[in-house]
Amino acid sequence: MTSNRELHIPLHVKYIQALGDSKDDLMYHLTAHLRLNAIYWGLTALTIMGHKNALNRDEMIEFVMSCWDDEAGGFGPHPDHDAHVHATLSAIQILIMQDALDRVDVDRVTKFILSLQQPSGVFAGDKYGELDTRFLYCAVNALSLLGRLHELDTEKTVDYIRLCRNFDGGFGAVIGAESHAAQVCVCTASLAILDRLDVIDQQTLAWWLAERQLPNGGFNGRPEKLEDVCYSYWVLSALAILKKVSWIDAEKLTAFILSAEDLEQGGIADRPGDQPDVFHTHFGIAGLSLLGFPGLGDLDPVYCMPAKLIEARGLTKDWQGLPRRALGL
Amino acid sequence: HGVKRVRYSKEALEAKRQREQSKLKEYLALNDDILARKKNRDYSQEAFELSTRMLRINPEFITVWNYRRDMFLGEIFPKRYVSSSDVNDLLTEDLNLTTALLKQHPKVYSIWNHRRWCLEYVPDGPSEEDPHGWRTANWNKELFVVEKMLEGDSRNFHAWNYRRYILASMPVRRSEQSELVYTKRKIEANFSNFSAWHQRSKVLASLWEKNELDPVKSREAEFDLVKNAMYTDPGDQSVWIYHRWLIGEGNDAALLDREISSIQELLDEQPDSKWCMESIAYYKNILLQKHSAKLSEGEQREVAASCVKLFDELQLVDPERKQRYVELCKDPPIS
Repeated sequence: MTSNRELHIPLHVKYIQALGDSKDDLMYHLTAHLRLNAIYWGLTALTIMGHKNALNRDEMIEFVMSCWDDEAGGFGPHPDHDAHVHATLSAIQILIMQDALDRVDVDRVTKFILSLQQPSGVFAGDKYGELDTRFLYCAVNALSLLGRLHELDTEKTVDYIRLCRNFDGGFGAVIGAESHAAQVCVCTASLAILDRLDVIDQQTLAWWLAERQLPNGGFNGRPEKLEDVCYSYWVLSALAILKKVSWIDAEKLTAFILSAEDLEQGGIADRPGDQPDVFHTHFGIAGLSLLGFPGLGDLDPVYCMPAKLIEARGLTKDWQGLPRRALGL
Repeated sequence: HGVKRVRYSKEALEAKRQREQSKLKEYLALNDDILARKKNRDYSQEAFELSTRMLRINPEFITVWNYRRDMFLGEIFPKRYVSSSDVNDLLTEDLNLTTALLKQHPKVYSIWNHRRWCLEYVPDGPSEEDPHGWRTANWNKELFVVEKMLEGDSRNFHAWNYRRYILASMPVRRSEQSELVYTKRKIEANFSNFSAWHQRSKVLASLWEKNELDPVKSREAEFDLVKNAMYTDPGDQSVWIYHRWLIGEGNDAALLDREISSIQELLDEQPDSKWCMESIAYYKNILLQKHSAKLSEGEQREVAASCVKLFDELQLVDPERKQRYVELCKDPPIS
């Protein structure tokens, strides 16, 4: 009898492998605008679980390249979809994990990304201008991975993030917006990449982040909201960058994430009893990795990529997760 | 998010698949048709109507919103012999479309984004004498719509962000003072509305910076408001985080003393209140760090001892965050 205390890696691997087989599902097609992101979530989770080769490398690379929007000079989330900075980041991350970054026209992609920066310093997601610090992070992360960070106006970018800082130490989506764990994650990680953690009131923010843990062990994204597995990553990655992961109860969070595993189909859901999906599977596993869960590879919380790859590129910043526990204890 | 897991039997699963097949065929046909037309820069009325159909089914399909906007800008506005009045009508129709979609999908980014786009393209009019008339009417309506949405869900950050956007963009601005009134109303309706406290912190910071509000008097008013909230629900974190912000760097020793006493009174009534303990310990630490000159050696020892006692208790009362209390005790941070 399987208990909920284990991470059922083979089951989750099968779940991720089966995702591409859902072409009979309407929902699969309704989420085409997230496809490239979904592939990144799946591949990262597989890599951290030690099963990177569970998906076909060549097919994946060709799919990524089929998402190239030649008019815009960036990647869209799906063939024939418009280029977007989030999809562009996912494409770059996938190609790095597949050791195929040479397929990218780095000059054109850099130009596309930089063209999305607004006079205020924030980034738009695409030419139609939805502004959000999430897109600022996609840009900073992507440029850094491409080795083109030096082309960014760092001052302007950092200034915008500073203006997003709130009374609770956290950050919002745009200037004036309420703190939300996902925005805190992307702003903190952006500042880490830009070596400007001095912008953060670390004591206050770490306090706000630690208070995201609920009695059931899970994390919420803002005060008085419900727990959700994905906040295991948004909150934890920011805490790891601030080197304060010890400020939360790791055992309780681990138990919460595992309780959201779907023991029949595999995958992890947003909370116990709900439908799993690749998004929560990835962020649940990412959270477990930062908590030192045995049998998982290290994940870099600044880039949300396998730590070894970031080390190899000389991009590692000063962060700290919990030490990896040995298997079989 | 939030989709319950349903266990289907094999037969039920097969039946579900059959039902979905025709829906799926229809969707894929529509999808392929639209994307092909987009590639060919088909900006016809037919294409426009197909985009409406698609967006009603899948309002998260960003590329189709982009296509729709391209059609407005590339064909409908400049070429179809439309007057300014027609443009305003068309945009009003699209605003109505987004209102309908937001009722079912209140948190979809691309719908909110299209709304903003529509507002930005409202032309001058209705006349030369009144060039802001259409805009003013539209913006006022926007405020009404967003207030309705906040009544439905007072924590919807999309709505709050949109509210801030409208207030900053309206041709005739509302006063920030009136926003203080609005946030107070929201807070008094529900003290644990962090979004409203947050908005209030922004408005106050702005008014203080512009010297439009007496910082001393208004801060006092805020402490009153917060005290009320604390006593109503000492377990709600919004209030304590807001209080911490009001204290700020803690440069006013008398204020610190007063607030510590006030919270102590509450702690006496609610001896297990983690927030009371945490705040008192935190503020006492600041007293030691910044104002030890005002305390005798004996008093300093007393304050330090009481901090240690509180942090020890907190490790028991709030064990999840134990390590934070251990660290605060060992190395009190200088605020």
